[in-house]
Amino acid sequence: MKLILAMAKKEFLQLRRDPRLIGFILFFPVLLMILFGLALKLEPENVRMAYVDNDQSLFSNLIKTSIWSEGYFTLYEVDNEAAIIRDIQLGKARAGLFISSTFSAALFENSQPSVQMYVDGTMPSLATAMDNNKHSITDDSVTNDMYFLDPDADNVVIPPDPFVLDVEVLFNPDKKETWFFLPGVVGVLIMQVSLILTATAVVREKENNTLEQLIASPLSKTGFIAGKILPYVIIAFIDFYLILLLGAWLFDLPFPATNQGPLFLLALAYVAGLIALGVAISTISQTQQQAIFLSIFFLIPSILLSGFIFPVEAMPGYIQPVSWLLPFTYFVEIIRGLLLKGNSMSDLVVDYLALLGFATVFTWLSIVRFRKYLD
Amino acid sequence: MTASLSVNDLTKRFGDVSAVDHLDLELYPGQIFGLLGPNAAGKTTTIRMLAGIIRPTSGSAVVLGMDLIREINAIKSRIGYVAQHFALYPELTVSENLAFYSSLYRSVPRARQAAMLEQYNLAQFADRYAGRLSGGYKRRLSIVCAISHDPELVFLDEPTAGIDPVTRKELWDVFYDLAAAGKTLFVTTHYMEEAERCHRLSFLSQGHRVAYGTPDEIRGMLDHMHVYSFTSNHNPRMVAALARLQGVKVINRFGLTTRLVVDANLSREELERFLDEWPVIDGKPVEESISLEDVFITLTGNMPA
Repeated sequence: MKLILAMAKKEFLQLRRDPRLIGFILFFPVLLMILFGLALKLEPENVRMAYVDNDQSLFSNLIKTSIWSEGYFTLYEVDNEAAIIRDIQLGKARAGLFISSTFSAALFENSQPSVQMYVDGTMPSLATAMDNNKHSITDDSVTNDMYFLDPDADNVVIPPDPFVLDVEVLFNPDKKETWFFLPGVVGVLIMQVSLILTATAVVREKENNTLEQLIASPLSKTGFIAGKILPYVIIAFIDFYLILLLGAWLFDLPFPATNQGPLFLLALAYVAGLIALGVAISTISQTQQQAIFLSIFFLIPSILLSGFIFPVEAMPGYIQPVSWLLPFTYFVEIIRGLLLKGNSMSDLVVDYLALLGFATVFTWLSIVRFRKYLD
Repeated sequence: MTASLSVNDLTKRFGDVSAVDHLDLELYPGQIFGLLGPNAAGKTTTIRMLAGIIRPTSGSAVVLGMDLIREINAIKSRIGYVAQHFALYPELTVSENLAFYSSLYRSVPRARQAAMLEQYNLAQFADRYAGRLSGGYKRRLSIVCAISHDPELVFLDEPTAGIDPVTRKELWDVFYDLAAAGKTLFVTTHYMEEAERCHRLSFLSQGHRVAYGTPDEIRGMLDHMHVYSFTSNHNPRMVAALARLQGVKVINRFGLTTRLVVDANLSREELERFLDEWPVIDGKPVEESISLEDVFITLTGNMPA
């Protein structure tokens, strides 16, 4: 027992001599805890819904108001039904509502018209929540005023709902969770390989004392970094295609031949950004422990705040900027667009630019931070 | 002879501490230059500045005719550097380590690599992981990796620290071979017997150069002094009394032997009379020839490690 305590005491002492690591250990959990506590909700909120109301009646307004007051959706108007689907494809909206011009006329005739609702199937949590909640739109408080039965009729039957809500799930009609998660999983795995491997690879040269030997050689700074990261770039690319092909083979994940160019560019921009970030982390870390801790600090918010699991729209407005600072957010958007929604590159140009921007900034950071001298 | 390395007013400060303070040195081809000093004297800092690993705070140096600061990249391909710690990749084999370091310089033919492993007695371990070598062989491999590209100037930071005497002697044979081939060697050490083997050397103490020259020139610094030794059991009171004796500069005790450096203020007769008063003495003081260690301790007041 005494020996255990002696060992533990030594371990604590060692930890105390690494103030940076202590900072990470205390600061990051607190920060992440607050961040996630505020941000993570499975129930969607403020989801943008594009609508077309061709009826423009008291009744169609009633439906819109009821949807609005649910609190899940922020409604905005578009021109026609095609525009709804297009906006969902582009990620401008996650849901859509179409009320046809004959809606109120059909209500008067008791012919039970339908209201068309669209949901982005690449976000199953959203689609599922919609399924669970669609009854609230058709519940009594809304429909009470929509019955036009003759109260004096002989046979008082229990009326059917005055209208039905048709929910169509776009881009992933079966709401396959694997389809939803797999494209993002690709990104998580690539992130592990490129970030953690590169972050520790450079620090390992420091710990091995080999960095000093390399600095004394004619190897240039660029030569060092480029040579150092090349293997991890190759590994990351192999992983990228391996996982996508496995996904296609095992889980029928779409792997559209037409989008190979954009997919390659995605892998390139994403891997470049992460590997450059890995090198940057490596240059600020003194030990592999620190490097791994920093990488994980980046990994966890990437997974939780990127829209990979929880929709970004559902997060409070002041948290969303954090999501926009994570390359993975754009990766998820692009890869779902390419594989599931059939987006073209021009649809995703903003996301691509964001990824390239990260790659540029992180590369610049790692070159600035990497010193040719040890002091 | 033109100097292969001349150091001019070189200074390195870490915060308020001057690790190396206005250092001047000249090294010549075909010679082994030894930089001596106790731990923290600034030896490693000096060698690291000259190998382009850290930057001097001020001062300059001309390395193989090139400016240390401006032409560091060109310098690096013509020098070799063996760090104090083994800078090997433990998970690579001996020959893979050598192949890697060789490839950082203008191409070193495979045949030369193999010949060097042979020459340094490493061929038998060519396929062994570097991490599994004994200390002595790790050191040999570090040296082979640093000189495979045939540098004109080789920096060796404590190349024999922690090495057994036989291997140490073998390493020094290597150094002499390199010097005989016209290379310049810059070696740091705190072994005094190694200092004797250098062609020229300098003592460093707290970043200052306190002695500089050939071993004979440095011994000449104590020309006006005498060194005596005598055997005795340990007696702190006698040592304290000795220290109060006028003319005693250094008392260096090692086991039963006490070695004294005395100046002209103390004659041999006076010393003998003093020693007669102490019953613990077995024998008369013997005059010794001056060693580098005597000079070193006299100049720095420090015991070499």
